[in-house]
Amino acid sequence: MLLSSIFLTATENAAEPARHIGSMEPIISAENLKKTYRIGKVDVAALRGVDMAVQEGEFVAVVGPSGCGKSTLLHILGGLTPPTSGKVLVDGNDFSYMKDAERTKFRRHKIGFVFQRYNLLPTLTARDNITIAQHIQGDGFNPHRFEAVTEMLGIKSKLGHKPYALSGGEQQRVAIARAVVCEPKLLLADEPTGNLDSENSQVVLTMMRTLNRDFRQTILMITHDADAASVADRIVRMRDGRIIWD
Amino acid sequence: MVYRMIFENIMHRPIRTLVSILAVAIEVGMVMLVVGMTHGMLHESAKRVEGVGADIMVQPSGASLFLGMTQAPMPVKIADRLAEIPHVLAVAPVLCLLNTQGRVDLIYGVDMPSFDRVSGGFVYLHGGPFTGPYSIMVDDLYAKAKDVKVGKTLNFLNHNFQVTGIVMHGKGARLFIPLATAQDLTGSHDKASIFYVRCTDPGYTKIVSESIRSLLPKNQILSIKEYMSLMTSNEVPALNTFVTAMVAVAVGIGFLVIFLSMYTTITERTREIGILKSLGAGKGYIIQVILWEASLLSILGIIAGYAGTWTVRKFIIATFPTLPVELTIHWALWAGLLAMGGSLLGAFYPAIRAARLDPVDSLAYE
Repeated sequence: MLLSSIFLTATENAAEPARHIGSMEPIISAENLKKTYRIGKVDVAALRGVDMAVQEGEFVAVVGPSGCGKSTLLHILGGLTPPTSGKVLVDGNDFSYMKDAERTKFRRHKIGFVFQRYNLLPTLTARDNITIAQHIQGDGFNPHRFEAVTEMLGIKSKLGHKPYALSGGEQQRVAIARAVVCEPKLLLADEPTGNLDSENSQVVLTMMRTLNRDFRQTILMITHDADAASVADRIVRMRDGRIIWD
Repeated sequence: MVYRMIFENIMHRPIRTLVSILAVAIEVGMVMLVVGMTHGMLHESAKRVEGVGADIMVQPSGASLFLGMTQAPMPVKIADRLAEIPHVLAVAPVLCLLNTQGRVDLIYGVDMPSFDRVSGGFVYLHGGPFTGPYSIMVDDLYAKAKDVKVGKTLNFLNHNFQVTGIVMHGKGARLFIPLATAQDLTGSHDKASIFYVRCTDPGYTKIVSESIRSLLPKNQILSIKEYMSLMTSNEVPALNTFVTAMVAVAVGIGFLVIFLSMYTTITERTREIGILKSLGAGKGYIIQVILWEASLLSILGIIAGYAGTWTVRKFIIATFPTLPVELTIHWALWAGLLAMGGSLLGAFYPAIRAARLDPVDSLAYE
């Protein structure tokens, strides 16, 4: 049932413009977002006042040199760490005032992560790496969604393999499947092509583009690769903890 | 899903898994064997006394229940006065000796005719009764353990005894010498440390006990039933303390190994914990995973412990026939519960620590 609805949405959306954005509230809204880490006795400002808004269905690439605060921004938007000050609303929820447990619960239901190093659980098969996300979410195994996602990512024949038996590209596709199998509102990707060769990078980027276009998946991707950023609808450039170009 | 993940984790680190299982198995084995041997020795000793066939035993006040030893043996002629009490069928005076040469052995100095009347007589597997003052009879378990044959010379209490008979076990002691010889060797002429009294019918035990009590008010008079009920570890000085200490050491070993194992696991799997957190796994989920893993290791260890204990018991019985090991369901359950409790306690801090890990730091962990 869900499978058909997924493909119906995909067909409908294929005829629409890629960005179905406009009048609604942004899914991400950050105002004067600051984050300071204390390393030893020294305070290090990772974010120095970030303002940004991302609409639902948008594919945004955040680019910038190493240490500019891209990953910190992603971690805050994903609820992995709280901001030091400022306001950050994700799907209407203000992370600034949420406790760790509340952010964890929110993350469980609304956010999917894709990491540079794939971050698959090494002892589990590709299938289990994907289904564990559904298990943690608590809604149980959804075979329709699982079928649709694994079919779309072209990993059905690899589901019985453990991560060490998969190529980098395959591992990253499994990681993407895990990230989207619970239908998150927001997909956060941290250098998803950083460990891949150009061919696999292209495959992964195409998958992400498809997810965005066909399933209206909101994606915020961090990258330092200009080619990777070019697949996004919008590019945000950061430097020294601030957005310098949008 | 959690169970599959736990199973895969356990299989992924076979050495750690084996060491953890072995530690829990040793813990279970230690508890069961220490308790099994102490209780086994007590019960076996009690059953041997019961096997004498008497209904009442009379000892000087303050005599040891466990070995029947006393500093002040009673005159043998008391036996004649006891025999005159109505409903008494036979009275057997016994002098208990403790041989400490090489190992500790309880030796009964017995007067054969009276002892036979009370016990119904020895069952001779080889040889026969005493043939002289330095004759000795041993029971079959002792003979098997020490490879003793009829005619062999054994040295006890700095004297050589010739084995004249090998008897069926279960009649008070494992070694028997003539009462007169025992009295000579200890300088306790015409003395005995226990009188075994047999009634014409066990139903007269209470009446006869009361009669003996009025005749010998300062002595320790126990029916065999009372004696059996008193033969617990509480009656042996420091035995309970020893058992408790050994159980505590065993549980401590299990606790420490599981603690170390799970603590190491948390460190090894920091990144994996970060991944679970990034997927939205809360503290409860992480704690659950760690505690279930410890529980599974513990269950496998308990099963291995039971199997190991059973095997060791078989080995002990085959190698040391005189060393009884009494394994009971009651203590098997206790050993399992203690092992499980120790494991969960050992895993609790690592589980809490894992749950508190910062997801960003965990994901960056190399």
